Amino acid sequence: MITTQFLNSLAYFEVMFCLAALCVITVKKQWPEYWSLGAFLATRFLSDLILIPLYHLKYQRINGLSTASTHSAYVAYFYVYWISFAVESILALIIVYSIFRLAMAPLKGLQQLGMLVFRWAASISVVVALGSAFAPDMTRTKYLIAAISQLQRTQSILTLCLLVFVCFAILPMGLNYGSRIFGVSLGLGIMATNDLVQSAWMALYPHTNSAYNLVNGVVICMVLATWTSYFALPEPKRRIIVLPTTSPFLRWNQISQVLGDNPGFVAVGGMPPELLAPAELEVMQRASRKMVVPFPRSMSA
Amino acid sequence: MKIIVRSLVIALAVTGAIATSYANASSSKANAMAPASISKTSAMPVPRCPPSDPGDCD
Repeated sequence: MITTQFLNSLAYFEVMFCLAALCVITVKKQWPEYWSLGAFLATRFLSDLILIPLYHLKYQRINGLSTASTHSAYVAYFYVYWISFAVESILALIIVYSIFRLAMAPLKGLQQLGMLVFRWAASISVVVALGSAFAPDMTRTKYLIAAISQLQRTQSILTLCLLVFVCFAILPMGLNYGSRIFGVSLGLGIMATNDLVQSAWMALYPHTNSAYNLVNGVVICMVLATWTSYFALPEPKRRIIVLPTTSPFLRWNQISQVLGDNPGFVAVGGMPPELLAPAELEVMQRASRKMVVPFPRSMSA
Repeated sequence: MKIIVRSLVIALAVTGAIATSYANASSSKANAMAPASISKTSAMPVPRCPPSDPGDCD
């Protein structure tokens, strides 16, 4: 009973923290840069607003206090939960992408190259996740759950990779640990680790579902509080990045900037003279008259 | 500060890697038809049973 009350309180805290984080992002005018995080929080806020009454409706029905259909409430709860989970997983991937883009903003070449690699890695991961969830004789709902679970696991691994990258590259990129980029990455990383640990835990101890809900509730409140405080506090300014001319970062950035540029074209042959302007024809004729050289005697002999 | 933050991040990454290997090993032993055991990080209970047969699932 105490556990249920505590879980209910955590659910309300989650909604309040979501709203607080959304308000802070809006007040600080951070939507253009962190629109994906805002969309993630808005999805979580809306889904929780729908899920909480559905959950209570179901329990009221069990206690015989309501005439609403338990089954309908469960069906609605099921689909809202798993569909919002899928949307949040995809939004979390987009957050990871946008955080990488923001972190690498000073080095445009490496940013473009990294984003290209990330897009390919994420696309392949999503396809593999959807494919590996499939099994023979699988029902639609089981496939839905398995595909979303695989997608979540993929997203968690990518998020942890991003967190490690941001943690070690943050100082050379002119940022520090008070930056919002780091705060958002840290929150995502904690969520990703929790997801992976939960996945292993539930596979080993499948009947401890409600116990792990408590952990989930505490972790999400912690993450939302972290994000809210990072956005509420003033962000330290980004330092100017000074790299030595021999830096491999600089060299690779220059190379990456050139990669993917549209190439120039050279007419090799078979070009009719009508394509050239009269002035160009005149120049070419005069140049070719000057280039006429006597045929080497040794060759003619 | 730098060392503390880096240690925390490495701890998170290592924990995630170990958990992934455990989860993969467990799911390969389990029935392929069983849905993967994951839920979103939220205080809301996870609906694991199919909608056609809710039973006593939370």
